[in-house]
Amino acid sequence: MKFSKIYIGLLFGATLMSCSDDETTPSIETPDTYTFTRDGASTVSYSGQSTRIAMNHEFGGALKVETNSEEALLSMYNHQEGEADFSDADLNASDKNLKSKTAASADFYSDNATDAAAIKTQIDTWIGNQHDEVFPRWNDAASAGNAGQIADGTSTRYVSAEGVEYNQVIAKSLIGALLADQILNNYTSTAVLDAGSNIEDNDADVLAEGKTYTNMEHKWDEAYGYVYGGTAEKPSDLLKYIGSVDGNENYTGIADAIEDAFILGRAAIVAKDYTVRDTQAEIIRENISKVIAVRAVHYLQGGKALLESQEYGGAFHDLSEGLGFVYSLQFTRKPNTDSPYFTKTEVEKFYEDILANENGLWSASSTTLDEISNKIVDAFDLVLAEAAL
Amino acid sequence: MKVSRVFLLVFTVFLFSCDTGSDESAGDNFDRGAMLANWADNIIIPAYANYEKELDALVSSVETFTADASESNLVSLRDKWQSAYLAWQWVSMFEIGRAEALSMQSYSNLYPTNPTEIEASITSGDYNLELPSRRDQQGFPAIDYLINGLGSTDADIVAFYTNIQTGSSYKTYLSDIVNRLHSMTTEVVEDWNNGYRDTFVNNDGSSATGAVNKVANDYIYYFEKHLRASKIGIPAGVFSSNSPDPTDVEAFYNSDFSKALYEEALAASEAFFNGQHYGSATKGESFATYLEYLNSIKEGEDLVKLINDQFVTIETTGANLLDDFSEQVETNNTLMLNTYDELQKNVIYFKLDMLQALNIKVDYVDADGD
Repeated sequence: MKFSKIYIGLLFGATLMSCSDDETTPSIETPDTYTFTRDGASTVSYSGQSTRIAMNHEFGGALKVETNSEEALLSMYNHQEGEADFSDADLNASDKNLKSKTAASADFYSDNATDAAAIKTQIDTWIGNQHDEVFPRWNDAASAGNAGQIADGTSTRYVSAEGVEYNQVIAKSLIGALLADQILNNYTSTAVLDAGSNIEDNDADVLAEGKTYTNMEHKWDEAYGYVYGGTAEKPSDLLKYIGSVDGNENYTGIADAIEDAFILGRAAIVAKDYTVRDTQAEIIRENISKVIAVRAVHYLQGGKALLESQEYGGAFHDLSEGLGFVYSLQFTRKPNTDSPYFTKTEVEKFYEDILANENGLWSASSTTLDEISNKIVDAFDLVLAEAAL
Repeated sequence: MKVSRVFLLVFTVFLFSCDTGSDESAGDNFDRGAMLANWADNIIIPAYANYEKELDALVSSVETFTADASESNLVSLRDKWQSAYLAWQWVSMFEIGRAEALSMQSYSNLYPTNPTEIEASITSGDYNLELPSRRDQQGFPAIDYLINGLGSTDADIVAFYTNIQTGSSYKTYLSDIVNRLHSMTTEVVEDWNNGYRDTFVNNDGSSATGAVNKVANDYIYYFEKHLRASKIGIPAGVFSSNSPDPTDVEAFYNSDFSKALYEEALAASEAFFNGQHYGSATKGESFATYLEYLNSIKEGEDLVKLINDQFVTIETTGANLLDDFSEQVETNNTLMLNTYDELQKNVIYFKLDMLQALNIKVDYVDADGD
C-alpha cells in the first residue's frame, strides 16, 4: 500500500517535473488556459467534437425510451445529414455522426478495417438487444433469466435476462471506441498531426484555407475537443470520468496532468517544437488510458461487492458499466508504443468470462471478477484496493 | 462526492480493523440479546402497531371520502394523512426483515413524487404499483399530490373527484395507493408478530448478518440518507451545483408540514439511539448503553455525550427553521445549510466513532449517481 502510493506520487511528480522542465524552454509560451490567438483572433476550433458529444447525450437518453424503434436508435448512432434524428435542429443539419468515428483512428484502424467494422457492428448489436430484449419487458419486473426492471437504491434499472444494462455497456464502450480512440490514436498521432504538408505549413504559418489556424493546430484542437468540447450541463463522458478518477485520492492531480499536457502540447505546436508536442501526447495517452483502467476496476469491484450482498440492481448497474469500460480497454494506448494495453480478443474474452455463468450477471463469479481486475491492475501498474475506491 | 470519499476511507479502515479484531467483538460480554429484545419489544413493534393503527384510520377516511367527496371529508382525510405520515417517521428507519424484502421505505416515501406519471396512470387505469419504476408514484408523497396538489383550494381539489367523467379514476388511484401502504404494513407487522421477533432477538452474533450489525447500518443509513440528505440537504441544494429547489421538500404540496415531519424523524432517531421505549420516557439497552459499556472515549470525552449534545445542537439550530421548508430554502437557505452541517457531525460520530467502537463494518456504498 505504502510503496504504491509513493510510487504514484513519484509518477505524478515526474510528470509535473517534466512539465516544468518544458515550461522553461524559452521559446514556448504556455497560457494558463487553452486559449490561443493569431492576430487577435482565436485559433482554437473543435465544433465537430462538440456536435458529437451533444449527439451522444441525446443518443444515450434515447436508449432509455422504450417506445423508440430500433431504426430510430440506429439512425441516431449513424446520423445522416438532414435526417430528423435528434430534437436539436443543429444536430439534424450536421453532417457529423457517431458511428463513422467509432474505432476509426488512423493508428489502430487505417489498416484494420476488419476489426473496425466488427466493433461498429458490436455497438449496433447492443442497440438491437436493448430494443429487442429489454424494451418489450420495460414494465415487468426482472428476475434471473428474465429481462425487466430492477431497483437500485431509488433508481430503476432496465436489464436483459442476463442482468445486462445495455445502455450502460454502450455508453461506456463509446468512451473508448469513440472518444479515447480518436484522441489517443488519431488526433495526437504523428500520422495525423504531420500528415501531408502539415509540418512545412505549420513552420511557415500557412493557414488552412479560410481559417485562422494551421492544420496541425486544428488536429490537436480536435483531440482536445473530445475531452473538453461539451457543455457544463452535458460534458463529454470522458471528462466526467477523468473527474471521478481525480476525485479518488490515490489519483488526485490526473485531471490537471491531462489538461496541462493539452495546453503545453498546443503551445509547442505554436512554437514549432514537435518534440515537446509528442512528449505531451504520450502524457495524454498514459493518463487517459489509466482513467479507463481505474474505472473498469472500480466498477468490477463495486459490482462484485454488491452482488455478494445480493443487491442485484446496484450490482448489475456497476457491472454493466464495468463491461463497457473493459471493452474500452482495447482503445487505450501504452505510452511510446503503437499498442493498446489489451487487445480486442483479450477484452472480448473478459466480457464473455464475466457473463459465462448461468443467467450471466445474476450469478457472476467473484473469482472471475477478481482475476480480470487483477490483470488490469497488473498491466497498468495500479493497486487493486486503490483503484477499487 | 466528498462524502463518499470520506466514507470509503472509513470503509478501508474497517476492513483492517476486521482483520485483527473480528473475533474479539463477540467477546465484549455486552448482552446484545437484551438490546435486541428492547429494540423489538419496546420500540419497533409498538411503533409499527401505532403506524398500522394510523393507516387503518387513513384507509377508513379514504373510504369515507370516496363515498362522499365533500370538502369536509377532504379536510378529515388530510388530517389522517398527516397523522399517519408522522407515525411513519418512527418506523421508517427499520428497513429489516419483511420491510427490507419489500423495500418498504422507497415504496412508502420516495419524493419528489411524479405527477405526470400519476396522471397518466389515472387516465389509462393501467399501472402495477409493485414495479420499482412506480415508486415515485405512490406512498405518502403521491397521496400528498392527490389531496393537496390537484388545485389551490379544497373546492378545486374536490372537483377532481366529483367530475362525472374522471372522478372515479382519481378515487380508484387514491384508494389503490393508500391500500398498498396499508397492505405492506400489515405484512411487516404480521411478520414481527409471527416469529420474526424471535429470529431477530436470537440473531445476536457479531457477524455482518447479525441483527445488531444490520440495525446499526440501517439506522446510520437512515440518518445519513433519509434524514440529513432527503429532508434537508437535497432541498437546500447541497448535492447539486444548482440552487436550492423548493419542490424537493417532503410533503411539497402541503409544504408547511415539512418541518413537522423532519422534527418527528429527528426525535425518532434520537430516541432510538438512547433506547427510549416508544411513546414513553423509559429507556432500555441501546447503542448508548452499549457505548457506555465499552467506555468509548472520543478526544477524552464520552461518545454518548458527544452524540446527545450534538442532537441538542441540531435541534437548537433547526428550531428557527420555518414550518414551510419550501419557503425556507427560498428566503434563507443558509439556515438550512447550517442545519445540514450539524446533522453531518452526528453522521461522522455514528459512522466513524460509533461503528469503530462497536467493531461494525459499514455495509453500504454510495452510488456515484449515474
